[in-house]
Amino acid sequence: MSAKSKNNLNFLQVHSGRIFILGNALASFGILLVTVGGSWDITNHLLSKPETFFSSPHALMYFGVLISLIGVALSFTGWRNLRSFRESYQVSLKIGMVGIALLAGAGPFDFVWHSNFGLDGLLSPPHFMLITGMFLCSIGSMVGISRYLKINSSGSVSAYMIILAVVPVWLSGSGILSSLSLPFSSTDFFEFNPDPVLAFFVASFGYPFLISISMFFAFRLSDFKFGAMSILGSLFLLVYSSTAIMPNFALYDSIQFYLLNLIPFVMSDIILRYDRSKISCVFAGGLIGSTFYMVYYPYVMYTFNEVLLGKIVSPSLIYFVYFELINKVFSLTVIPAIAMGIFASLLSEKISKKIQMQRS
Amino acid sequence: MKRLLFCVFAGFFIAVYFILTLFVLPEQFLSTEHLVPQPHLNVDLSDSEISLGDSFRLNVVSENIGDYGDIHIVSVAFPDLVEIDPVEIATYDFTQSSKYISIGDKIGARYSGGTESTFSRYPSIEATTRPDYPGIKNHLGLIITPEKPGIFTIYVKSVDIPHASNLSHYPDSGFLDHQDEYVLVYSVNVNP
Repeated sequence: MSAKSKNNLNFLQVHSGRIFILGNALASFGILLVTVGGSWDITNHLLSKPETFFSSPHALMYFGVLISLIGVALSFTGWRNLRSFRESYQVSLKIGMVGIALLAGAGPFDFVWHSNFGLDGLLSPPHFMLITGMFLCSIGSMVGISRYLKINSSGSVSAYMIILAVVPVWLSGSGILSSLSLPFSSTDFFEFNPDPVLAFFVASFGYPFLISISMFFAFRLSDFKFGAMSILGSLFLLVYSSTAIMPNFALYDSIQFYLLNLIPFVMSDIILRYDRSKISCVFAGGLIGSTFYMVYYPYVMYTFNEVLLGKIVSPSLIYFVYFELINKVFSLTVIPAIAMGIFASLLSEKISKKIQMQRS
Repeated sequence: MKRLLFCVFAGFFIAVYFILTLFVLPEQFLSTEHLVPQPHLNVDLSDSEISLGDSFRLNVVSENIGDYGDIHIVSVAFPDLVEIDPVEIATYDFTQSSKYISIGDKIGARYSGGTESTFSRYPSIEATTRPDYPGIKNHLGLIITPEKPGIFTIYVKSVDIPHASNLSHYPDSGFLDHQDEYVLVYSVNVNP
């Protein structure tokens, strides 16, 4: 072995921990780009019906996949050279690698699918493979980052890094629920639209659970840092408003409505800042869960419209139908939404302890 | 006491959130007027009379002169044709690819946005722009070479989506086509 390669080896060993965390952060950031691109792509399909695979949102998505691929490769390199705690990071790395394999495979699969069947809808085999890969990859990174921060007793500021890890989990989880509930998957070749009643239940139970568990992951995995929930909620609202609301001229006016969703996030943060008791967690979980129809404005309307109104909704009419439905949807779903929010807040405690390798 | 004040503070903001999102803002948004896109067409025919074997040109300039809309469609139909072969697109700047509709194809009817349908009785070409910004002119130029002598008829119309009212189609009166929708009728005399 040459002196140069020995030096390289030493460098990797010395900085293995940093390389590992940098890889996980890059993987998370890459998935964030993919999810932003995905949300933008949905809006693009609704508004301007792109006629080719080569669109800007697709470019952003596949750039994100590349970043994630580099991230997972870096975290693998870092992990191989770790001198301690290797086993602690093994699970996160395995999940991340399965995720990135699905992601990398989904690209060519999607291209072949487009080439044979034209433009697909939201739910199609390559898209589901992509979204599942995104979800697994972001989960792997979240576990890796969280464990690293715990093991290395990172300072107060770096604990906020967990937010970067939770945002893609929330967004990619939203992608899974959206593809299983939105009626955007009917094409000339395939009818992949979910059954409207099943979609109603997926949305009513799934979204509240996902919002609540994401917020509580940010809260618990950051070691109960005040502001984690507010920042996470703000980032989510920022991504959704910039990719699903702002590109649609007809929805500009409703941005003030959407930004009101900051209130329950900030209030939950404040409540848990002063009182971390189980009752407060239950209250915050229920509150966050109950807001799902507002947080997932505007597209969640399409799911409930299928069952409750059955109107044809062109993009400029979205908010009329959305607001026509809001009270009815709220009254029908508020109880399961609160229940799922509470359930997620309680479950997050157990999962967070497992992620951070604490004993229950 | 501190705890009580905190509960009041939190309760106030949560109540404000639900009152605004569930009652105040929805009512405000629902009371706003719907956007009404309004298509308009200018059609120019190069000749009113030609000899068999010659071509003539049909130029259509369309725009939305109303509010923002989602889709702007111009349809040019040929009731005397069985196949679209004698028609060639010469200019086209709509944002979506042109669509050829053949006899027997399932098509929408009565401005229903797809809830009512019928089957095409003659070929047509559809040009589409999405989204439908007001004031942007779209151009469609066709070169047509009739294959038979006699009167060669052309139907032209435009529909904007959402189809909010009678203003969202052009023309809004006159001759009805196979979709039960109003069309402008043009004809060229083809001499043997």
